[in-house]
Amino acid sequence: MSAVSHAAAQAALAGVHACTPAHLGDWRNLLAVIWDFLSLSLFSLGGGNTLLSEYHLLAVDKYCWLSSRQFADIYAIAEAAPGPSSMIVGLLGMAAAVKEGPLWGVLSGLAAEVAILLPSTLVMVAASLSWSRLRDSPWRVAFERALGPITLGILFAVGLKILRISDHDTPAYAVSAVVCVLMLRTRISPLWFMAVAGLLGGLGLINR
Amino acid sequence: MSTAQPGPDPSLRELFMGMQQVALSSFGGGLSAWSQRIVVEERQWLDNEAFITGLTVARLFPGPNQINMAVYIGSRFHGLRGALVALAGMLLLPFSVLMLLGLAYFELHMVMAVDRVLAGVITASAGMALSMGFKLAGGYGRDPVAVLLALGSFLAMSVFHVRLIPLVLIAGPLAMAWYWPRSR
Repeated sequence: MSAVSHAAAQAALAGVHACTPAHLGDWRNLLAVIWDFLSLSLFSLGGGNTLLSEYHLLAVDKYCWLSSRQFADIYAIAEAAPGPSSMIVGLLGMAAAVKEGPLWGVLSGLAAEVAILLPSTLVMVAASLSWSRLRDSPWRVAFERALGPITLGILFAVGLKILRISDHDTPAYAVSAVVCVLMLRTRISPLWFMAVAGLLGGLGLINR
Repeated sequence: MSTAQPGPDPSLRELFMGMQQVALSSFGGGLSAWSQRIVVEERQWLDNEAFITGLTVARLFPGPNQINMAVYIGSRFHGLRGALVALAGMLLLPFSVLMLLGLAYFELHMVMAVDRVLAGVITASAGMALSMGFKLAGGYGRDPVAVLLALGSFLAMSVFHVRLIPLVLIAGPLAMAWYWPRSR
């Protein structure tokens, strides 16, 4: 009994998942996935980063498109790539369908990106057009002051989660800590941190 | 630093091209600065005040800040159509690059060298993720209710595994009631 749960824990640690990926050829699955992204859109606070934990829960635990380790990889790729890092959603969508071929991977990535951006874009259009009235509304004041600290707490939780799924030994944690401090204390472009860390990884100084 | 009046309204095509220029210029980072330089100084679609208002609205409402900023600029000139065109202009190139990187990753990630480089890169990106909270934390130290809210949200998510949507739907209205502006 304990041997079994030990094995399960080992498998979980190694990022091996027992669950099978949801098949998107079934339109009910497809609608469920699209709904998940649409409904998350309006909870994309703090510049979109509050969603990272949810992305992990959906893509790794619920739909099994990726292992936890692959999730860490594509998060790093989205951060290193040009453009808004929230485009990681496109890579999640791609992971869901890339086994069917590259074209399906790209289409699925595009669909995921559209789903996550559509509701927040519609709200943003309405807000932009009515801002002169919204600005002095008590709703605006209360919303801004209330959501700020909640977003802050969520961002700490998300940061910790990313740290947990990315780093597995002391040198890795040390590099992350140094990067965190440099991000806060200097104006060096994050691309440099990734380049140097990538080099350390390539030389075998940072391992999984 | 131009003090001139904003120029004529951009057409849909100009919006698309302008946003594409912002996206291209910022391939090495610094999207916000580039967007200000191009939209305010070069093309003079907005004056500085309108641009800063846009940043405020973009940060306040849900959605990635830079994407919201494109939506703000586009919708100012051509409503929903303008917003979608500006969005497409901003995302087309970076999204295409990302899709290519993604395909390369899913084809190549078993290659040992790629895997080892990524093992390094993810430690840096984890450090960047960790810095997000600290970056915003400074402003809230003096308000004990804000500290409590932040701590409560953190614990709810990290320790008690409360999901994002229920957390925001419960904590949000309670906090809004507390922070509702008192009438004088």
